[in-house]
Amino acid sequence: MRFFDPHIHCSSRTTDDLAAMAEAGIRAVIEPAFWLGQPRTTLGAFTDYFSSILGWERFRASQFGISHYCTIGLNSKEANDEGLAREVLEILPSYALKEGVVAIGEIGYDEITPAEERAYEAQLNFAAENDMVVMVHSPHRDKKRGIQRSIDVAINCGIPMNKLVIDHNNEETVKDVLDSGAWAAFTIYPHTKMGSARMCEVVKQYGPDRIIVDSSADWGISDPLAVPRTGALMLEKGIDPEIVRLTTWQNAIDAYAQSGQIDVEALEGSLEVDQRELFGDSSILRGQEPRVDTPVIN
Amino acid sequence: MGTLDESDPGKASTCAEVDVEQIGKFFCALLDGRLSPSAAEYVDQAAAEIIAGVDLKRMGMLFALASRHARDRVLLDPSEEELTLAAKLVPGWNPERWGLLETLRARLWFARQDLDQASCVEAVEALFAHADEGECRALYRILPLLPDGLRFQWRMQEGCRTNIVTVFEAVACDNPYPARHFEDVGWRQMAIKALFLGSPLWRVHGLDGRLDEELARMALDLVEERSSAGRPIPADLWLCVGPFEQSRALPLIAREVDHGTEEGRCAGILALGRALQEGRLEALIRAQDPLLSPWAQAAQDGDCSQAAFSRLPGREAPNQ
Repeated sequence: MRFFDPHIHCSSRTTDDLAAMAEAGIRAVIEPAFWLGQPRTTLGAFTDYFSSILGWERFRASQFGISHYCTIGLNSKEANDEGLAREVLEILPSYALKEGVVAIGEIGYDEITPAEERAYEAQLNFAAENDMVVMVHSPHRDKKRGIQRSIDVAINCGIPMNKLVIDHNNEETVKDVLDSGAWAAFTIYPHTKMGSARMCEVVKQYGPDRIIVDSSADWGISDPLAVPRTGALMLEKGIDPEIVRLTTWQNAIDAYAQSGQIDVEALEGSLEVDQRELFGDSSILRGQEPRVDTPVIN
Repeated sequence: MGTLDESDPGKASTCAEVDVEQIGKFFCALLDGRLSPSAAEYVDQAAAEIIAGVDLKRMGMLFALASRHARDRVLLDPSEEELTLAAKLVPGWNPERWGLLETLRARLWFARQDLDQASCVEAVEALFAHADEGECRALYRILPLLPDGLRFQWRMQEGCRTNIVTVFEAVACDNPYPARHFEDVGWRQMAIKALFLGSPLWRVHGLDGRLDEELARMALDLVEERSSAGRPIPADLWLCVGPFEQSRALPLIAREVDHGTEEGRCAGILALGRALQEGRLEALIRAQDPLLSPWAQAAQDGDCSQAAFSRLPGREAPNQ
């Protein structure tokens, strides 16, 4: 099978991870802009980060046959440093309309402060003006209330619900999100947000419509293979393969291809990797035998 | 990071004579019939906006938004006539492998009214500050078409410092700029780096005209390094040797002809031709080896320029 992981922070993963992801059938990923585990202190740190997920990370992923897209945005935690946040919002248009940027994100609430709300609204307005999809990070604390507020504010800013993806859902929030008409994404974290087994139950109860599975793998304890593992568990539990395909591949494409920035035709075709052509030892392959003409296992 | 001296100041005048108006018209003609109606509409609107005058931020947004209207993987696929015209407009310019999106971006760039002014350089740097991979490729292919090429010497050499192979090749391959404007250190580094990245050195425009002792020495050092490590020698490496460093080069070439891969053996024979080793080629022709003798004959006939390397066994046809 092939998988789309629409939320993974590749810049904090190794080439071993990328190789394992390709072997497991992951054909495409979205790397949302987020925080780096500690707050940035300068605008330059943001711009270099945005350039990295638009450039080097895309190139790195491509070497393993993985199509790499990204989202651009100011995350909720760092929105609370208001001076810097204003500077970041000012330069955001220079990155948000690039090739392969499939959404504004991940944006939303952390502590649900007025500063977070100002940054959230400014970015929603930009997304609405430029006909973009929005990826919303839902808060860890006061999640249910935070998600409801995220949806209400997005509606006020004129975001159509079919262009709103609410991420990090759980059993308690999924109904509200689906009822609103937005997409409900689920992050499979080993011990916290959502487990594979729980995910199977959610899909059994709510069906596949507008439900998306992702890994959100980052610099913390997380699993870059969460999507294929969850897909395998769904099949093992007797869930219809079509439901697995929709929730681990097609729904993500349907949601984010609305950006006009996913080459669906190319993604559907089989991409063969030729590292012999693309690689040398001053890039990422360092002298090992290149993997030639090995199609990604589907 | 200051501008380095041009090795031959006389060359700069050639570049100053580019006719930006004709090149701009050429880009319009290239896009005619190749874009969807909505993409054509975008190009017209964006170009009109640029002609009227846009700030740096807006220029960047228009450049970025082009990606909604042409897919990166779609090639321009120019006709023979178009390729001929391109080379006439700017000697050495070869858009054979350009993408449609790059062409669209070039069209927008040539809508600027300040191409020969300092504000144009400022705009180039402003775009590079936020450029993604596709935009970098487009810019590195556009800059050689602008007047007063030396203004972009640092920027173009900076392009060779990337490890993103597609961006490196936008500078190094099918591009008239490096041979014309790179100073010697940057030029040689680019040639050797192409070998490391596995980029086709034979597609470096003007390579044969800028070989020297130092580049040959660097290439032969690399032969020894690879041999010690038991690793194969890139066939294009022999392009760097030419008629130089013969006391070191000839035994290494002979070893490649005897023991290299099929591609390497044939490349070694071309290297013998480039080193003007008529006697050795004659012996190889007389040996009537089905693989090697035809290559020796070609080399003896003078067909051992960089273009000949495009035909080595296992390589794509030059027009693909």
